[in-house]
Amino acid sequence: MYSKKIAAMLKKNTGVGDRVKVLSAGTEFQGTIMPRPLGGDSSILVIKLDNGYNIGIRPESIELLEKSPPKPALPPNGEEKVKGGIAILGCGGTIASKIEYKTGAVYPSITPRELRLAFPALKRWNVHSRRIFSLLSEDMSAYHWRLLADAIEEEIKSGSEGVVVMHGTDTMTYTAAAMSFMLQNLPAPVVFVGAQRSADRPSSENEMNMLNAVFSASQNLGEVAVCMHATTNDDYCHLHRGTRVRKMHTSRRDAFHSIGSQPLFAVDYRTDRFEALAECRKRNDSGLVAKKEMNDNVALIYAHPNIKPKFISKLDDYDGVVLVGTGLGHVPVNAFDDKNVHGIIKPLRELIDSGIPVVMSSQCISGRICLRIYSTGRLLMDAGVIGDGADWTPEAAYVKLCWALGQTKDTKEIEKLMMTDIAGEMTRRSALGEF
Amino acid sequence: MKIGIEIHQRLDTTKLFCDCRSALADDAKPDVSIQRRLHPVFSELGEVDQASQTEFAKGKLFKYQVFNSSNCLVETDEEPPKTLNLEALKIALQIAIQLRASPVGEVHIMRKMVIDGSNTAGFQRTAVVAMNGHIGSSKGGIGIPLIAIEEESAGIVSASDSEAVYRLDRLGIPLVEITTTPDIKDGAHLVEVAEKIGMILRTTGKVARGIGTIRQDVNISTEGGARVELKGAQDLKMLPKLVENEEKRQLELVKILTELRSRKAIPVKNQIADVTSIFQSTKAAILSSGLKAGASVLAQKMPAHKGMLGREIQPGKRYGTELSDYAKKAGVKGIIHSDEGMEKYGITKEEESALRKELGMDGDDAFMLVVAQKAQAEAAIGYALERANMDSIPEETRRANPDGTSTFMRPISGKARLYPETDVPPLTIDEELLDSIETGESLEDKKKKLEKMLNKEMAGRIIKSRHLHVFEKLTAAGADPMLVAATLEDTLVSLRREGIEFKEVESTLVEMFAEYKKGSFVKAAIPEVLKGMAKGARVEAVLKVFRLQKITGDALEKIVSECGYDMTKVMQKYRLQADPAEVAAIIKKPKTSSDYV
Repeated sequence: MYSKKIAAMLKKNTGVGDRVKVLSAGTEFQGTIMPRPLGGDSSILVIKLDNGYNIGIRPESIELLEKSPPKPALPPNGEEKVKGGIAILGCGGTIASKIEYKTGAVYPSITPRELRLAFPALKRWNVHSRRIFSLLSEDMSAYHWRLLADAIEEEIKSGSEGVVVMHGTDTMTYTAAAMSFMLQNLPAPVVFVGAQRSADRPSSENEMNMLNAVFSASQNLGEVAVCMHATTNDDYCHLHRGTRVRKMHTSRRDAFHSIGSQPLFAVDYRTDRFEALAECRKRNDSGLVAKKEMNDNVALIYAHPNIKPKFISKLDDYDGVVLVGTGLGHVPVNAFDDKNVHGIIKPLRELIDSGIPVVMSSQCISGRICLRIYSTGRLLMDAGVIGDGADWTPEAAYVKLCWALGQTKDTKEIEKLMMTDIAGEMTRRSALGEF
Repeated sequence: MKIGIEIHQRLDTTKLFCDCRSALADDAKPDVSIQRRLHPVFSELGEVDQASQTEFAKGKLFKYQVFNSSNCLVETDEEPPKTLNLEALKIALQIAIQLRASPVGEVHIMRKMVIDGSNTAGFQRTAVVAMNGHIGSSKGGIGIPLIAIEEESAGIVSASDSEAVYRLDRLGIPLVEITTTPDIKDGAHLVEVAEKIGMILRTTGKVARGIGTIRQDVNISTEGGARVELKGAQDLKMLPKLVENEEKRQLELVKILTELRSRKAIPVKNQIADVTSIFQSTKAAILSSGLKAGASVLAQKMPAHKGMLGREIQPGKRYGTELSDYAKKAGVKGIIHSDEGMEKYGITKEEESALRKELGMDGDDAFMLVVAQKAQAEAAIGYALERANMDSIPEETRRANPDGTSTFMRPISGKARLYPETDVPPLTIDEELLDSIETGESLEDKKKKLEKMLNKEMAGRIIKSRHLHVFEKLTAAGADPMLVAATLEDTLVSLRREGIEFKEVESTLVEMFAEYKKGSFVKAAIPEVLKGMAKGARVEAVLKVFRLQKITGDALEKIVSECGYDMTKVMQKYRLQADPAEVAAIIKKPKTSSDYV
């Protein structure tokens, strides 16, 4: 938004996209008015010069030269009613987007026509697509998990051979874990895909990720998986189990890692490579089991030095709590009864005693929760903290508790569900090579 | 003729969008090599820019050599760019002020699509920092419409049809781009303008020095000809030759076109013939090696083209070379044409006449021959014909060769597609920023100052010198200006002729002049001291090992006495160790009686 001063200079009929003559510090500039980017000085007018460059100038007067031609109507945000083949569902993110050169704005591009234009190699498969919602992944919640789970269930029931979900990368692993618990005994693959480099750059890895995801969705797999770059090269992708995958880098292409296990497959559609790296569940038609109820009233709490007992007491409004503890799964409990230590065992015990399940995970990310080694762990176990022996990621533990609370209100039953491996979120063995 | 110039100057700061040093890794081995592909980006209408589509369609693989000493995740396109390097921006603004240009109110970083792989992101980041400057010249004022700051591209290592290898050490070094209006009159004037801008750049003391740190692109358009961009001229002395050759090339091409039209020789129909069988048992190495590898020999008749293909258009370059340059787009090494002597390829008279017969050639006809895999050879002849059938002189981007000729690179690119770099916020140029810029001395002021310290001739040489900053540093530290200037402009030049080069001119001279100031050696020994230091030795060690320490006091008096108080004799023997003034003083000094015993 421009300042009032500029707004006053722009006559009623002059605005973004119009060609203007601007006087600034004694010099005359001609160009097209651009929208004001977020932040910065709103009293500076941004124009695109004829040579394509944008510059910011402090205008003294603005004169309209030419109105911008009316925008051509965007193609309808269509939806294809096709049975069979691979379904591509859009949840947002910038894996497929188009750029408006004039302003530099980037829009998601998920109409079937646009998808085929963006990824011409898609023609190899029989695909159809539709938008479920369009959000930055950090804005998604359990409400959106439900919308997505409904759509996937519908696609599979109507005979889709596989489902690809286009999703922002930030919370992709939460959503992938959620689908893993909500949709069990999958007869077909559900493959999440995203891009670390936005699609508005020629170097975006979106195309390779997308094509590998669609290729994977046509393969013999009966699980929820995430398909992203395996290395910094544009060479192949890894297909990770939805409950074991974690985003381990803020920006790199190869940010997604399988934690405590190998990725399921190495994938390259160009060479038809679908190489198994770990055991997986195959396609089968014994029937999809949908358990889609979720309770979103769960807190995920990162333990840290100086954590206050008062803070823990205030969690009593939640229906469940997942702690991300230190080391083997610890939080300050003042095991030595030191007068200068303020542990949180008392408020934790009160939460658990009031029927709020408390689950432990670790900041180490890799490795198993072990509450039997130190007195801290034993005090936590004694208080009823759930999780001894689990090697889940904090995110998988969190989503699982939301799901378990959606399945039952019985605390004993919740503990039992939590400690049962549902979708590969808990392994039985820690192999030496998997760190 | 209209001439304009674009100057790209590297700045002596860290990189433009990260904190990597702007140093090349020289001979170092890459630490890691990564592989990427680029693909088109869609516009608001879901359509791709045609030019980029064609380029991307090639599906090239790009290999990037990464050097940990000069690269981080930003150059490898694995981390968002940092904010614009403020130091580099300030230098660009300082240059802009010297060029009397007006800074913009806000700098907007743009992405310029680059599809040849020379930028890992697929675009180059560039921004206008100032506009509407001008400089004076002997033939009138020259406008500087645009001063931009941009990222240097990656350096090419090798390229083939299917892949290209680049090194990333250079990627991201800040460049200032200065564009002039097309008001330059001729080659000599071009040198004058380029030199003047170069001097203004160097007077800031903040630009990079050395080979490759400044590049000139020359835009030339002639009447009846076309607009041609000559890229990457590094040696100013070659600019007049470059202009002359380009003017000649265009003139000759116009003549050839007129002649071909009057002969009704164009358009040439595509009549590619497979003539492999004629050369089945040829002794011509250029053909037989290809045939062994399964290639085909394809030929195309060029009706009424006789004598035209061999017509020289630039020294050593013929019209046939122009067609050949286009054919190379298909990845072939070139074409053979009938205006060349077939014997130089080892093609026999019999083979040639069989070929002429096969093509149904008349006396005025010519032919082109290509050996390559069939599809590739067909494409090559297709590209050559495309050029041959052009109805006007094409607008081209050509590479400036060191000998003053040029080679076709690509058709001149249309208006660059620029869109905002959303990862870097715009930067306001406010009073506070402008006040923090040291404008430094203007070129005129600097000239005046030098003329006070040196004679006019030497002042003129120093202001153009790439060692201007060393001169300023040493004289500021109290060294004699004439001696410093002579050392930089004469001694170093004659040492270079002897094959003696200095990796670090500045630090060597700082060390040497500090020692000289102490009186450790005499002026005449400077070349010898430098020779010793060129091998990497410290100045003290050089003086000791090569016996270059100055002889003074009693020792000098003894020597003078031994030489019978004969100046010539002393200097003959001790030129490198004795100060003539001191010797003269001893000779002049009244002798004690003992001297006469």
